[in-house]
Amino acid sequence: MAPAPKLDITVDKPTPYTFDLGLLLANDPNPLPAADPAVPQEERLSAVARDGAQALVNQLLSTLPLQSTQAGVLLDLPPPATALPREKPLPPAKEQTKWEKFAAKKGIKPKTREQRRAKATQFNEATGEWEKTWGYKGKRKEGVVPDDWVVEVNENGDKLDDKKSGAAAKKRRKA
Amino acid sequence: MLRQIKPRNARSKRALEKKAPKAIENPKSCLFLRGTTCSQIVQDAITDLYSLRVPLAKKFTKKNAIHPFEDPASLEFFSEKNDASLLVFGSSSKKRPHTLTMIRTFGHKTLDMLELHLDPQSHRKIDQFKGRKFAVGLRPMIVFAGTAFDSPVANEYTMAKSFFLDFFKGEGSDKIDVEGLQYIVSISAEEPLGDDDKPAIHLRVYLISTKRSGQKLPRVEVEEMGPRMDFRVGRMQEPDAEMLKEALKKPRTNEERTKKNVTTDSMGDKLGRIHLGRQDLSELQTRKMKGLKRSRDMDDEVAAGDADEAPKSKK
Repeated sequence: MAPAPKLDITVDKPTPYTFDLGLLLANDPNPLPAADPAVPQEERLSAVARDGAQALVNQLLSTLPLQSTQAGVLLDLPPPATALPREKPLPPAKEQTKWEKFAAKKGIKPKTREQRRAKATQFNEATGEWEKTWGYKGKRKEGVVPDDWVVEVNENGDKLDDKKSGAAAKKRRKA
Repeated sequence: MLRQIKPRNARSKRALEKKAPKAIENPKSCLFLRGTTCSQIVQDAITDLYSLRVPLAKKFTKKNAIHPFEDPASLEFFSEKNDASLLVFGSSSKKRPHTLTMIRTFGHKTLDMLELHLDPQSHRKIDQFKGRKFAVGLRPMIVFAGTAFDSPVANEYTMAKSFFLDFFKGEGSDKIDVEGLQYIVSISAEEPLGDDDKPAIHLRVYLISTKRSGQKLPRVEVEEMGPRMDFRVGRMQEPDAEMLKEALKKPRTNEERTKKNVTTDSMGDKLGRIHLGRQDLSELQTRKMKGLKRSRDMDDEVAAGDADEAPKSKK
């Protein structure tokens, strides 16, 4: 069996189309074909529309990224390039809070990530290591008496396992 | 002007927030109105345009004694009350038969208006075309044909183009199903024969059918679905320059602006181009030769000077 004849999918126009794919728009800057008594007007118009549709479909399917999902094949459209007027004016900028005004006046800027890090870790020259200033494995402050400076023990010298006294109870009370 | 309402409960607050200006706007909704006299042809045309615009559309059937070009205040009220920024007003009079007035508002004030006179002979309703119809809410493809729409100066045709783009744009999503490309709106105008000649605007809506072409892309065929409308342009009111400028403002987005003089090459390396001041060639270190030394006596001094200069020049 002979293969089916290939159908024409190209559109040739003296001036090329311009597209705005975000709006699914094709502009055909060519003048319409001249009125011809042999061809009805509707046929002329539908031929122009067909060419436009073909050019637009070609452009859409050949240049845009395709996405196959369960819902179907989706085309990612670019943002529209044609400027269309808005419906309402842009919302006014949010009013500055009292703090933001003060900070702007004083030139106070939020700390950067590096600045916050610089405070959270300190370099210990004696050991040559970075130590945390607080938190887990944080450095203990010098000259401060620790909370568990006195601990109750039994005769053997083991810590008393009474939950109501000692460090555990203190912790609970704190929380 | 509607009175300013202070929300008293959450529901009315939500309703007000929905209407409030936003950086990324709601899709424009379109309101269809009729005047005190409105021919059946214009009413049919309005019904058809409404069905093309559903669901972002509202149609009122009561008669309104409005003359848009004389006093648009009433239309502005309708726009505000219904939160619609596109209005289509149909009327018919002896002087201006079968007229559709397209009005756009900005901030509930008229931005621009265009009068289109429908040709009653060639007008066909959607119902008059047999065959399948498109599903409600699908986005049409749009094609504008003819040199008139590409005019560099604003005129009736560029305004009509802008209006119809707004009208058929619909919701304007950034993704579209390939199956959803079902119909095309073709708006075309003949060549103007003279300077004062205003050719008709032809609005046609076609359903698209695709055939396998034996190549990668399909062959597209069209079949008219209706409505079929031919418009003669009438009066127009151009937008106020100040207002248009305000209306075309783009919101600031969080997208990073492209940095100047920084590029990425094909290997993914970041390249920067920086400005260096003018180079002082008098301090350029050239090749040293023994014969060029000023004198044998100052050998020591020069050597010391060289040692100082050498690292500088390397920089």
